[in-house]
Amino acid sequence: MTELAAVIVEPFGDSAVMVTVPGDGPGVRRAAIRRLRDRLLARRPHGVLDVVSGMESLLVEFDPLRTAPEHIAYAVELLAEVGAGAAAPGRPAHRFTIPVVFDDVTGPDLAEVGAELGLAPADVVAAITGSTFTVALLAAAMAPMMDGLSVPRPVRRRAEPRTDVPPGAIMIAGTSAIIQPFPGPSGWRVVGETPHTIVDITRDEPVSFAPGDTVRFVPVDRARAARLRGGFLLPEGAAP
Amino acid sequence: MSTVAIAVTGAGWSTTYQDLGRQDAERLGVPTGGAADQYSAAVANLLVGNPRGAPLLESLGGGLAVVPDADVLVAVTGADSRVTVGGAAVPTWSPVLVPKGCELRVHELRRGVRSYLAVHGRVDAARFLGSAAPDPRMGFGQVLGPGSEVRVRTVSRGWSYGHFGQPLLRLPLPGFRPGALDRPVDVVPTHGAGAASGIRELVADSLYTVTVRSDHVGLRLDGPVKHPDDDTEIVSHGVPIGALEIPHADELIVLGRYRTLTAGYPIIGVAARACLPVLGQAGPGRRLRFRWVDRETAVRRSAEQEAALRALESATSDAFAALGLPGPCRPTE
Repeated sequence: MTELAAVIVEPFGDSAVMVTVPGDGPGVRRAAIRRLRDRLLARRPHGVLDVVSGMESLLVEFDPLRTAPEHIAYAVELLAEVGAGAAAPGRPAHRFTIPVVFDDVTGPDLAEVGAELGLAPADVVAAITGSTFTVALLAAAMAPMMDGLSVPRPVRRRAEPRTDVPPGAIMIAGTSAIIQPFPGPSGWRVVGETPHTIVDITRDEPVSFAPGDTVRFVPVDRARAARLRGGFLLPEGAAP
Repeated sequence: MSTVAIAVTGAGWSTTYQDLGRQDAERLGVPTGGAADQYSAAVANLLVGNPRGAPLLESLGGGLAVVPDADVLVAVTGADSRVTVGGAAVPTWSPVLVPKGCELRVHELRRGVRSYLAVHGRVDAARFLGSAAPDPRMGFGQVLGPGSEVRVRTVSRGWSYGHFGQPLLRLPLPGFRPGALDRPVDVVPTHGAGAASGIRELVADSLYTVTVRSDHVGLRLDGPVKHPDDDTEIVSHGVPIGALEIPHADELIVLGRYRTLTAGYPIIGVAARACLPVLGQAGPGRRLRFRWVDRETAVRRSAEQEAALRALESATSDAFAALGLPGPCRPTE
């Protein structure tokens, strides 16, 4: 049996399908879906407009007047059967160490997350700084969405999304973390803030991270954060 | 070919450069964005002989006013509105000549919230990832205000407007007006519709009101909802434009072109592609009804809309060729 052969393709509205991959454990499924996304973008079946990555799924958007869900499903199944060698080679993974201020002001949801998990706020911080995250995908506004939060059980989202989360906010939900690149709404739990600039659209490469990179968060105090404020986020070993 | 400077003298609530959105940007986490009412934006461009996806102006709430420094051919579409040139009423959804130094003004909007102003030629607008569509969240505002100048490279010259208000060209204009649609919005059900028992019946039978908390990310609607019977967290996934989502709070959200990737909330259905322009024209206070349809019905409506746009495209192309001007099939370069 070839890898990825058993993909599930379901219509999602009149011009998209949702693609998922069965597999044992989120790690296996997430890696499989990343490989399938690379193949889809490299081969681009007729009528496909765009591919939106989820943690364990792909939303394939198409023009329903040029193709049909059945054709997309067939193309996706064929791509899933292609050997691993067909994936485009990416750059080697980078490592990031990201300074974060964790306190009541920068992390307004720390106490609530703690109460939900039966932990003190300081233990929530310890769980975050003790986890090694892997960038799974670029989410809204190029925000790095990361996998790998080690907590007793998945963290729930807020009942009502916040309407204005500041840039640099470190947020968690489920077993994932994300960094808010620009002010905006979010239903994730805000637990800290980094002084670094995560996305800069005036740069040729607006972000320095890519899926597959690893991230660790280290606590810093406000004085240290003030000195780092506004610096563009770079991986370990990169010249500023 | 010459460059015309168009002075913005009024911008209403908000006026920006706009187009049909960016392609292939979702993998970078940048939403496609683009005109909330893609149909009206496409028609405005076609009416002045531009390609559908050319940059144009999108204005919210009425009050847009511009003065060109040379004669220009324009079209205003979108919300149902009164438009004047030099104080005299001119038709909307039609090519119109604005003589040098005269003010074109979009007055109060009656139904719908967004007007589109296309100008024959190539609007000189900044681009991010290949598109002029704003992404305010990423600091790409594209905002125009009084004092701004829109520069257009155009070959349009020597038009004369009929003395008795005759339209310049008689084009096969589709009758669809996204701001004024009274029938329900078509929605294709998704798996999430089964997550909360009775939600389909409830949505079909209820009236929903657009609230002021709505924006380009989504319309937030006041009206009855039901929550899923079990509250397992949903793993973040991509969601189509037009997805009907039930957050934990008592409201219904319809996602727009600037939706973020991951809702994490149950999606009960997706508005049909052909109805998205209607949602793009729905402002605070607008009441919406929904109707469940199957995928085939939704695609058929989309095909009808596309056929109407193609008929207009082809007729404009012929008319502009007869006048010796570049038409939609031959973009102005």
